Amino acid sequence: MRRNRKREPLRFGTVARSLITCVSIAAIGVGYVWQKNQIYRLGDEIKKREAALLATEKRNTMLAAQLAQLKSPAWLEARCQQYGLGLVAPKETQTIRLLEPGPEWDTRFLPPVRPAAQTKPRLVAAR
Amino acid sequence: MKSFTHKQRALGVVLCLSLSFTALAGRLVDLQVFRHSELSGVAESNREQVVHRQGRRGEIRDCNGNLLANSQSVRIVAADPSITISNAPAIAQQLAPLLKMDPASLQAKLAGQGKYVRLKTKIDEDTITQIKALKIKGLVLEDQLLRTYPNGPLASHILGFVDNEHRGVQGIESGLEEYLQGLAGYEVIERDRKGREIRALRDEEIGPRDGFNVVLTIDQVIQHIAETELDKAMAEFHPQAGVIIVMRPKTGEILAMSSRPTFDPNTPGAAPADARRNRCVSDVAEPGSTFKIVVASGALNEGLVTLDDRFDCENGAWLYAGRILHDAHPYGMLSVMEILFKSSNIGAAKIAVTRLGAPRLYSYIRGFGFGRKTGVALPGEVSGIAHPLAKWNPLSISRIPMGHEIAATPMQMLMAMNAISNGGRLMKPQIIKSIVDDKNVPLMTYRPQQVGQPITPRASILMAAALRKVPTPEGTAPKAAVKGYDVAGKTGTAEKIENGQYVKKYYSSFIGYLPAADPEISILVSLDNPAGGAYYGGSVAGPVFRGVAEKVTQYLAIPPQFAEPEEKKVAQL
Repeated sequence: MRRNRKREPLRFGTVARSLITCVSIAAIGVGYVWQKNQIYRLGDEIKKREAALLATEKRNTMLAAQLAQLKSPAWLEARCQQYGLGLVAPKETQTIRLLEPGPEWDTRFLPPVRPAAQTKPRLVAAR
Repeated sequence: MKSFTHKQRALGVVLCLSLSFTALAGRLVDLQVFRHSELSGVAESNREQVVHRQGRRGEIRDCNGNLLANSQSVRIVAADPSITISNAPAIAQQLAPLLKMDPASLQAKLAGQGKYVRLKTKIDEDTITQIKALKIKGLVLEDQLLRTYPNGPLASHILGFVDNEHRGVQGIESGLEEYLQGLAGYEVIERDRKGREIRALRDEEIGPRDGFNVVLTIDQVIQHIAETELDKAMAEFHPQAGVIIVMRPKTGEILAMSSRPTFDPNTPGAAPADARRNRCVSDVAEPGSTFKIVVASGALNEGLVTLDDRFDCENGAWLYAGRILHDAHPYGMLSVMEILFKSSNIGAAKIAVTRLGAPRLYSYIRGFGFGRKTGVALPGEVSGIAHPLAKWNPLSISRIPMGHEIAATPMQMLMAMNAISNGGRLMKPQIIKSIVDDKNVPLMTYRPQQVGQPITPRASILMAAALRKVPTPEGTAPKAAVKGYDVAGKTGTAEKIENGQYVKKYYSSFIGYLPAADPEISILVSLDNPAGGAYYGGSVAGPVFRGVAEKVTQYLAIPPQFAEPEEKKVAQL
C-alpha cells in the first residue's frame, strides 16, 4: 500500500483543495482577528464621538444660558445705559398705526372688473 | 533498603498523577458545576460594571421661548488628602491662582483628613485643561449638574429652585417635577486594566431620557417691567412687602407675577425663607375696599339695584348691630356708581344689608372663587378664608362688603376682577402654556379654562361703567389713570390685624384693567404697610399700576382709545 502511494503522482486537485482549505482557515482566522480589531477600533471611535457629543451638549447648554443672560431685559437696559445710546421705547405719539387690511383692501388695487358683454344667446337649431 | 521494580515505580508515578488529576478534576467540577452560579456572578461583577446615566433636567422657558432655567454640567475639583498631604504646599501654590483661592486655605484642605475633599465647584473647561496639564497626583475632576437661572432673581417666585439632589423645591420646579426631571438610563460596561471603558464590549445600553421642557405664559419683558416698577415702589414707599400680578383677563394667562422681598434662585440659601415665599398665592389678607366689587356686582346681577339707585351714607358714620361703621370721608346720598368710585363703606354695607342679604352675598363670594384655591399650577397656594354662612355674626353682613372678616390671596382678588372685566366669566389662572420635548414637539398644550360665571355680561358692563370712574379726579385713584387709555379699577386700603386687633398699618392695593371696553390686560398692585404717611390704595398703589400699565401697553402695542390733540403730537415729534 505504502509503496503504491509513493508511486502515485501528486494530484493537482488534492493539493489545490488542501491549499484552499488551509488558506480558507487562515483567512477566516485573520478575518476574525481583523474584524475584532475593527470592532474595537469602531468602539473607540464611537467612544470619542460620544465624548465629543457630550462636550458639545455641555457647551451648548452653557452658551444657551449665556445667551439668555445677554438677552435679558435687565442686561440690555444696563448696556444701553452704559453706552449712553439713548435707546428707549417709542412713545405712542411717535407710533403710526396702520389699519389691518379688511376685505375691501383686496379689491382696492385690482383693475376694475368689466361687466360681462351683453350678448344675445345664440340659438342653436336642434337637429 | 527495599528496591522497587521498574514496574512498581511506574505504577507509583501513574497513581500519583492519577490522584493529582482526580483532585484537579474534582476541584474543577466544584468550581464549574457546584459553585457555578456564585462564581460566575463574582467574575461578571469583576469584569462588568453598571453605570447609571442621569437624564438632563428640562428647561423652563417664557411664552416667547426665552430661557428662564436650564441645567448645566459643571466640573468640580476634589483631592485625596492621603496622597496630596506629602506635597500640599507646592500643590497649593500651583492650584491657588487657577482656582482663585487663598493658598493657605487650599493647603489646609490638601493636608486634611480623609480620602476626599472638595476644593472648588463650577470650574470652567479652560481652567480644567490647565489643571490637567499640571499632572498633579491625588486630584480628582468630577462632573456636577448645576441648575442655572440666567436672569437671576427675575421671576424667582414662579420658577422656584432645586435642592442638592437636583429636585424641585418650590415654584414650577417643584410643581412640575414629574415632567422636568429626566429618566435615568444605564449601561453595562467592561473596563480595561487602566480602568478605561472597552466600548466594543458594552453589553446593555438604555439611554437616559431628558426631562421635558416647560413653556410658561410668563413674558420675561413684562415680568421685568413688573419687577422694576415694584422695586421703584419699594424704594419710594418702603413697604414690608409688595406684589404685582399682570394677567390677560380673557384667558386667565399670567403674564407676570412678582413678589418682594425676593431671592436669587441661583443661591436660594442666601435669602431668608420669608423672601422665598410667593406672596401672590400663599399670603392672605383682608382685601379691603377692592372687595366691594363682589357685593355691587352681585346686587346688579340680581337686578336688586341699578347704578342710579341712591343710598344714604349717613355722613360717614352708621350704627349697625351695635357698632359704628365709618367712611373715610363723610358722604350723604350716593348712587351705587358713586358708592363704587368714591369707595363708601357704608354704601356697600347698605347694599348688602338692605338689598342683597347674607345668603346671596355668600353665594357670590363663593361664586367669585373666594374660600377655595384658584387652581394655578404653583405649589403653596392657599384657599383664603371665607367663613360659611353659619359662622357669620350679626355684624358680618355689614363688614364683609368692605372686605373685612374675609381673607383672600392677591391672585383670588385679581381673578374676581378679571371675571367682572370678562363678561362675568371666571377663568382659571394659567401659568403653563405647554410642555414640549427637546425637539419642541408639544406633549401637552394648556387651553384657557372657564371655571364659573358668577355674573351676567350685562352686570359686567354695568360694573365696568362704575369702575371706569375710579381712576378719574372724582374717584379714589386719579393717579392710576393711563393717558390715552380707558382704565377701570378699584382701590383698596385694608387695615392690618396684629394679635387679633386692627392696627394702624395698611395693605394698599389697586386692581384694574384696560382697555375697559375690551380688556387686554389686568394688573394687581398691593403693598404691605407702606411707610411715609401715604397709605391709601389710590395714592400708593395707583401710581405703580399706571407705571406698569403704561409700559405694558406700549410693549404689547395695545392701541390707545383716546387720541392726543394733533398739535401736541407734532410738538412731541
